[in-house]
Amino acid sequence: MRNKLRKWLAAFLVAVVLLPLGGCALPGLAGSGNNTVRIASQNTTEQQIMAYMIAGMISHYTNLHTSIINNLGSGNVSFNALKNNNADISSIRFNGTDLTTILDEKFERDPAKVNTIVTQEFQKRYQMTYFKSYGFADTYAWMVKQSYAKKHHLETVSDLKKLAPNMTVGIDQIWQNRQGDGYPAFQKMYGYSFGKVLPMQTGLLYDALSADKMDAILGYSTDGRVGSYHLKLLKDDRQFFPPYDASPVATDAILKQHPALKGVLNRLVGKISLTTMQKLNYQVDDQLEEPQTVATNFLKQHHYFEGGK
Amino acid sequence: MKDLGLWGQLIYYFSHNGMYVLSQFNQTFLVSIYGVLLGAIVGIPLGIWISQYRRLSPVIIGAANVIQTVPSLAMLSILMLGLGLGQTTVVVTVFLYSLLPIIKNTYTGMLSVDPDVLDAGKGMGMTRWQVMMTIRIPLSLSVIIAGIRNALVIGIGITVIGSFIGSGGLGDIIIRGTNATNGGAIILAGALPTALMAIITDLVLSFIEKRLTPKTSSEH
Repeated sequence: MRNKLRKWLAAFLVAVVLLPLGGCALPGLAGSGNNTVRIASQNTTEQQIMAYMIAGMISHYTNLHTSIINNLGSGNVSFNALKNNNADISSIRFNGTDLTTILDEKFERDPAKVNTIVTQEFQKRYQMTYFKSYGFADTYAWMVKQSYAKKHHLETVSDLKKLAPNMTVGIDQIWQNRQGDGYPAFQKMYGYSFGKVLPMQTGLLYDALSADKMDAILGYSTDGRVGSYHLKLLKDDRQFFPPYDASPVATDAILKQHPALKGVLNRLVGKISLTTMQKLNYQVDDQLEEPQTVATNFLKQHHYFEGGK
Repeated sequence: MKDLGLWGQLIYYFSHNGMYVLSQFNQTFLVSIYGVLLGAIVGIPLGIWISQYRRLSPVIIGAANVIQTVPSLAMLSILMLGLGLGQTTVVVTVFLYSLLPIIKNTYTGMLSVDPDVLDAGKGMGMTRWQVMMTIRIPLSLSVIIAGIRNALVIGIGITVIGSFIGSGGLGDIIIRGTNATNGGAIILAGALPTALMAIITDLVLSFIEKRLTPKTSSEH
């Protein structure tokens, strides 16, 4: 018995050794084959939900395979993934951010203008198609705890002025030195600076605020944790933060290769409102559901948007 | 959610995302297996080869040693520059790290075969090829398997880190847990299956290894 097993295993090992290296297709893994669409997603909840939603739509309407390249650190990384042909679709891009970071254009406050410039330039410079918005816009918002707001009678961002020099605030890593709508411009427009500014990963901001390690944070208006921590959003009374429309972006190469993709992505246009996104984010951030589970349930609930064009 | 307690949350998580965890488990497992398999395809012949030409052994084993000293996150990033994001890069990384244990064990296994048995084979008029196929390889199989077992446990660890370059798998769940509100349960939901995978593959391979360990002739 033992001898037999040994002989058999020896034969197997020899067979493995003789297998031609180049012929390995690695079944079960999503490679970079012709029928695989690669979706780049960043490390935020929103990005991951939308990535799985796109993947769900693609496998519902076409025979293509999808693979998700997850946890990319920033909009720049995910853009470069598309540019270097490591990915085909970027799950969410914010046109206001892309205008000043990727395109390096001058800051612009008018949403319609931003949209035109970004769509045109992405097409011209990088041969990428900027789709119309999903229907929600994300914007930065200052948030405080309800108790803190009550204690100091806070309603608007201007109300922070007298408290600011003694405040500790948390912001995300890119905002501090950002041109146009970053901290330098914020100080100029509102006329005050904060005592202590701590840049950190976005996810940590909310925990830090709820643990009283900070007085205020600059978060995202769509974030589900606004709801789960009952945070108070301060009104941007001077309209400093422009809304950033959220859209998917795909390379022209993949759209040409699989023309059906355009129709599939267009089905999501205008279908996800700000409150919907907040609700979906909340399910992931607070209700222990995976982005994939949330996305699949949402698509099923809406019958993969078969009715709409 | 908070009133559930950590274990309650964990059970809740699995019941809601079971299919997702399963598919990520599958991905992690496949990436590690493929890397180690490629390592075996290259490493075993190399090990056999250097056991026949022993002057080469310091060079080959030295090279594999050097690879092993590079931290895995650094290796992933370096390979990413050339191979891009995604699973292929992780498979190649696992492959590189599995070379050392496999080559070294094959080499040691080959050399530890009892010279008397080899002599007996030669005395029976066996060719060199026959000695290799019927004596050397079967008798050193258990040591080779031990090398593969080592490589696989290392490989699973690397695959989880591979989530940072977008390869997916259980590492994704762990990273998400670090971002979520009260993500303790999510971190566990990613870490426990990973540990389970490493322990089970280790047990299975150690069972095979034991069965293949040559016993003294009287037992046959």
